[in-house]
Amino acid sequence: MDTLVQALINGIAVGGFLTLMVLGFSIIWGVMGVINFAHGEFIMVGAYMAWFARSEWGIEPLYSALPIFMIMFVVGFILQKLVVNKVIDRPHLVSLLVMFAASIIMSNSVKLIAGADFRRVNSDIQKGFWELGDLATIPRKHTVVLAVALVVLIALQTFLQRTRLGKSIRAAAQNRQAAQIVGIDIKWVYAFTFALCIGITAMSGALTSTIIPVFPFMGPPWALRAFVITALSGLGSVKGTLGAAMFLGILESLVATYAPGNSGSQLAVITAFGLLVLTLVVRPQGLFGGLRPVESGAH
Amino acid sequence: MTRVLEATGIVRRFGGLTAVNNVDIHVDAGEMVGLIGPNGSGKTTLFDCLSRVQTIDEGTIVLNQTDISRMKPHQVAHIGLSRTFQVLRVYRDLTVVENMELSVQWGDISLLSSFRRPDKETTKRANHLIDFLLLSRLRNERASSLSGGQRRLLELGMALMSEPNIVLLDEAMSGVNPSLVEQIKERITILNQEQGVSFLLVEHDIRFVKDLCERVVVLNYGEKLAEGAPDAIMENDAVIEAYFGDDGGGGEHDADF
Amino acid sequence: MKSTTKRVLQGVGLGLGCLLLVGLLVLPLFERGNDSTLFTLTLLLASIGTAISWNLTGGFTGYVDFGHAVWFGIGAYTTGVLMSNESDWIPQQWPLVPALIVSAIFTALVANLVGRLTMRLSGPYFSIAMLGFFVFFREVVRVMGGLTNRGVGLTIEPVINRPLWYYVTLIFVLVLVYLSWWLRRTRFGASLIAIREDEIGAEMRGIDTTRNKVMIFTLSGAITGLLGAMWAYQNTFLDPDIAFVEVRTIDAVMGTMLGGLGTVAGPIIGMAFLFVLRELLWTQESLLQTHLIVQGLLLGAVVIYLPKGLMGLVRGEVKLLDRFRKRTSTFEGMEAAVLDDEVLDEAAGELETEVSR
Repeated sequence: MDTLVQALINGIAVGGFLTLMVLGFSIIWGVMGVINFAHGEFIMVGAYMAWFARSEWGIEPLYSALPIFMIMFVVGFILQKLVVNKVIDRPHLVSLLVMFAASIIMSNSVKLIAGADFRRVNSDIQKGFWELGDLATIPRKHTVVLAVALVVLIALQTFLQRTRLGKSIRAAAQNRQAAQIVGIDIKWVYAFTFALCIGITAMSGALTSTIIPVFPFMGPPWALRAFVITALSGLGSVKGTLGAAMFLGILESLVATYAPGNSGSQLAVITAFGLLVLTLVVRPQGLFGGLRPVESGAH
Repeated sequence: MTRVLEATGIVRRFGGLTAVNNVDIHVDAGEMVGLIGPNGSGKTTLFDCLSRVQTIDEGTIVLNQTDISRMKPHQVAHIGLSRTFQVLRVYRDLTVVENMELSVQWGDISLLSSFRRPDKETTKRANHLIDFLLLSRLRNERASSLSGGQRRLLELGMALMSEPNIVLLDEAMSGVNPSLVEQIKERITILNQEQGVSFLLVEHDIRFVKDLCERVVVLNYGEKLAEGAPDAIMENDAVIEAYFGDDGGGGEHDADF
Repeated sequence: MKSTTKRVLQGVGLGLGCLLLVGLLVLPLFERGNDSTLFTLTLLLASIGTAISWNLTGGFTGYVDFGHAVWFGIGAYTTGVLMSNESDWIPQQWPLVPALIVSAIFTALVANLVGRLTMRLSGPYFSIAMLGFFVFFREVVRVMGGLTNRGVGLTIEPVINRPLWYYVTLIFVLVLVYLSWWLRRTRFGASLIAIREDEIGAEMRGIDTTRNKVMIFTLSGAITGLLGAMWAYQNTFLDPDIAFVEVRTIDAVMGTMLGGLGTVAGPIIGMAFLFVLRELLWTQESLLQTHLIVQGLLLGAVVIYLPKGLMGLVRGEVKLLDRFRKRTSTFEGMEAAVLDDEVLDEAAGELETEVSR
């Protein structure tokens, strides 16, 4: 029983940082229809920035998170204007390949600059565990991330529902042409959305750098988890992302805990994709219509 | 009189919305039937159901005495039904001729035969249809360089390659310049009268169908509102109200009607 | 581009191609002592083959497989498992030819199953799902201790006649080139183009799109699987991280895009170009570390500015338009705007109230 509770707690913790890591991906996809193939690499860049701040200046990841967000917000904005805008009207393949190229460039550049070794970011204030009576322990690092994730979620939800810019973003997501008719400047909306999401993604990398291994090619498994989670939840649905991320987190945690042998991390990946396979078999449109199946009716 | 297409009790739901609600529609050999209705009336959905691009929740569709209610779109093409699309589906990067050649129905779907080269018969037929549709001088032009109306004609040609006996035309004349509209109408009429091809035309605007169709079906909110000769339909109060809301009726009607 | 210039270019291209072919054929005679050149060239041939096979699904049919390297790995591991003596499930070591055949068939079976699932998805969703399968299989291989010896890897006895293997690979790739060319000219090939250009239109015009696209996917997987099996034999050692390598997919995609997606000669030209480029970069000390970065930049540039690749240049199509259907081209966008006013009005109306609140 204890093991189960611990596994569940672990799962929630994992779900926490998955949520933060996936939000950016899901929103870009939902609003702009762009699948950010370099998503994992932005996480990686954020993690490396946190590592750098920590090793050079001794700044805690928790404190460097916000500056990293802001820097990457600007970077994302520039990137969108320079590159993404060019390919947004082109077929999906083009934006996919461009982001793919970007991911190659980013991971290899970081490898060039910082070396290919695994890095760990340590933290003084996030040391230790919280204890939940006798049942389970949860590392402080995880709760920090969980807390930040919830804050960001609430902030984002409020922003999207209550502010004018937020509503414009939602409008643009639903129907681009209609939004333009009503006078919404699509280019700015897209630029802002992209920048926001890149910022959040990099920040998630910074915060989780204390938990997950950091190396130049760490991106793909996280990007793929993002894809699975978005497929399970609705596109750009903030609440859906939370639910799906928690689900995946708990599932992976249970598998890792109860699976025989030593293959925890591989099994976690296998679980994530097993889930994807299952979804594809049962509902090619994703659980909430996130994926777009080939438009052939009459099945 | 043989019935080419008979659909009974068609129901199509999307979640909570019933887009098509218990609609019957039929087309006899050599008939030209119009299907009209205001926006949102479900006529496009019904069209999709008839051409099997969408599944039906209830009802049966019989095409040339075959029950196609559960068939996939590509099977329907082999039984004698073709359709065009509202948002044009031509192969943009290929030439007009290539588009036509790619549209031939490959007879029996036997796998082995599909490894043969496209044959001379196909090219002959393609060219013949291109000439018929008065697109001869555009034969080797990219589809992407054609005007809207010319693409409609091309699509019509592509639909005809499989020698269907019924063609579903999806808003074939919207957004096309008037002289080309006349050309399209003329070509369709010739096909109908000389070769007995039946047509079911979906149009937003009754003007396009009133000269061509002997019978018009009107849908509103997914249900059949009226059916009859174009003149009678245009005088029908319920239809007028559907298009204009509570307009007070009588007198001249303008714009889209 | 004037037609005479085109003809000259094509003539030159053909001439160069023949020269190259002759060169490739006689090379082993000059390199008798030099196994490593043959090894490298065999690898190059294998990567050309992979690009050609990727092009069948990605170029002809428009389904861009971002996990293509997975077939290579599966084929490699099947041969590895059968031919080494380190797998608990296989009591006896298999001889080469049966191992290769079984590898191809097994990869085909897996590709068939996976294709049926993933080809339900369109465009980028398919691409990422395939990348997912790539990672998935790699980890499965790593986990299945008894069968695949986990992450430790498998070793095959190094009994190989390099020149002979080089010729075998060369001939296989030549066969693939011919296959690709022939396929393009059949009705089946034409149906694939139709699927790429407009799947739903193709289906409405009588093409069984599901059957056809799964078939080509299966074939493509089988070919790449066989290439992987052949590589395993040559390499004599494999582990999950060298059998399942993302770079193989990247190379196939890049090479084909560079050469010209969907053309027959594209993958060949593109891969050759990449190979030469890489050799040049390797020789420059400073650029050693950066060659992947350069490739990334090249890919981005090609995709944005030269979507039809080098073959596009040769054919005189140097415009910035793509050959693929635009997602929201002005034309379609306008049509949709004109015809779907109801939807637009509703949305705009809704929006007006929402945004101004």
